[in-house]
Amino acid sequence: MNALIRFISGLSRLLGILAALLLIAGVLVVVQMVFLRYALSESTSWQTEFVTYALIASTFLGAPYVLLTRGHVNVELVPLMLGPKSRFVLALFAYSTSALLCFILTYYSYLFWYEAWSAGWTSDTVWGPKLWKIYLSMPVGFFVISLQYLVDLLCLVTGRELPFHIADVNEEAA
Amino acid sequence: MDPLILGLLAAVVLIMLLLSGMPVAFALGFTAIFFLIIDDGIGAFDVVADTLFASLDEFALLSIPMFLLMGSAIAASRAGSDLYEALDRWLYRIPGGLLISNIGACGVFAALTGSSPATCAAIGKMGIPEMRKRGYPASLATGAIAAGGTLGILIPPSITMIVYGIATETSIGRLFMAGVLPGAMLMLLFMSWSWFYAYKNGYHFVERNKHYSLRDKFIVLPKILPFLLLIVLVLWALYGGVATPSEASGVGAFISIILVMIIYRVWQPSVLWEIVRSATRESVMLMMIIGMAGLFSYMMSSLYITQGIAEWIAAMDVNKWQLLIYINIFLLVAGLFLPPVAVILMTSPTLVPIITQAGFDPIWFGVMLTLNMEIGLITPPVGLNLYVINSIVKDVELKTVLWGALPFMLCLVFGIFLLTMFPAIATWLPDYLMGPVN
Repeated sequence: MNALIRFISGLSRLLGILAALLLIAGVLVVVQMVFLRYALSESTSWQTEFVTYALIASTFLGAPYVLLTRGHVNVELVPLMLGPKSRFVLALFAYSTSALLCFILTYYSYLFWYEAWSAGWTSDTVWGPKLWKIYLSMPVGFFVISLQYLVDLLCLVTGRELPFHIADVNEEAA
Repeated sequence: MDPLILGLLAAVVLIMLLLSGMPVAFALGFTAIFFLIIDDGIGAFDVVADTLFASLDEFALLSIPMFLLMGSAIAASRAGSDLYEALDRWLYRIPGGLLISNIGACGVFAALTGSSPATCAAIGKMGIPEMRKRGYPASLATGAIAAGGTLGILIPPSITMIVYGIATETSIGRLFMAGVLPGAMLMLLFMSWSWFYAYKNGYHFVERNKHYSLRDKFIVLPKILPFLLLIVLVLWALYGGVATPSEASGVGAFISIILVMIIYRVWQPSVLWEIVRSATRESVMLMMIIGMAGLFSYMMSSLYITQGIAEWIAAMDVNKWQLLIYINIFLLVAGLFLPPVAVILMTSPTLVPIITQAGFDPIWFGVMLTLNMEIGLITPPVGLNLYVINSIVKDVELKTVLWGALPFMLCLVFGIFLLTMFPAIATWLPDYLMGPVN
């Protein structure tokens, strides 16, 4: 089971690196575009679209990594107020609801991707890239984040991790 | 079902999910999908992926990750501490000078990053220990930085203004410009309070045995000048109509990484990677919230909730000032639970038409909304800045930070009051520089 956890965490990390690379690529392309447009007064064609898509893909692909490193903002008010037992139950609810949402999004973004792929949709610009390449980031990102949530649930149930990763300071006092 | 009742139900479900500790993005997404299905059955699923993608498919949005990268590069360097050190050498004779320097540094840093938590972290890491060393109480030191950090979303470039501009189709350049004077005003309010407090409690005696010569004062300038130039350059590119926010942010991020590499000799791959990594994390988190909030807004309008609320408010027949007070209270409460970006995306499509109808200026309202969000940043339960400070100085209790931030929160409320009395504080500069809106 530890191997499974490591594998999925590794997958999240890998996508995280990909997301970071897409961000770098976005910056470089913007710089290139600005240089072409203002220094050489040339017109630009594909850059705007490329950067937009790169950062959308970065968002979906990076989401599992952000979950892995506890980067998604949440409201910890209630979890902090509760005792360990009720906090565990609440964490079970919060994790599985999130997981459910991510599974739903995986399936429906897969259908969306499939439609774009089988019909060969392209964007209606001069550059006109195949849209399935960009849409692919959605099902992939949501699938891995769903898996990451399953790992979190597993770790929660087996006591490997504390609910919401809140260390209970009052436990010793009580 | 009545759209208003549906809206109320959606709000209840959303609040419950938020309180359960789910990530904000997913709570928004889940609520959106849940109500879409109630309304439209299983067929509603078909539009979900499309809508989610479409809410992010916007060129102007990508200035957010770029500005975050710019901020994270500068935050990784010693620029923050150099900044406040330079200010301190110039201001050390004033009562509470160090405190004032720190707030000033927050203001300048806000102009470099556009993000509140980044500003807090960068200035606080150096500023708070130094202030405490020189005898300032922990509450004042931490509270000042928490409040100073909120300037990040007001002083341009500002991430919340970008989102507001996109959501309401108002000019981002104009919004940025509108944030400048209110930002300066708040900085002055924060500084005045610090000065007053320090003066009353005699903190100026601590500073008196120090002396900086003119040479000391000038020697620190070369290090911070490039960053100040960068700010000027980015703003010039934006307001001169030379570049779009996305272009300015991309080039700004690139230049700031180069500057950090040259001036601070940050070239180790591990540090550079950390800069990109932390920017990616923050950008993914924010963009995910933006996407899901887009889905939420889509649900609100396809269930006629947005329109229902607008009609309901119009039918209330209150005068415009009452209306403004209600809206402010609503925004304050929303800001307590949700990050600024989410509040703006969810509420501005409903509120801005109402506000404009009542005769208020949408650019001015953008600034007003931002001030409300700033209060949310230093108030629990979400209060991002409080948690950032808490993670930097672990030996200070959250409660102490909170008390320290309270007077500054009152400054913000006073700022909202001033802005309402004198809307020109926000609208004068953009009108002067870019000509009045037609």
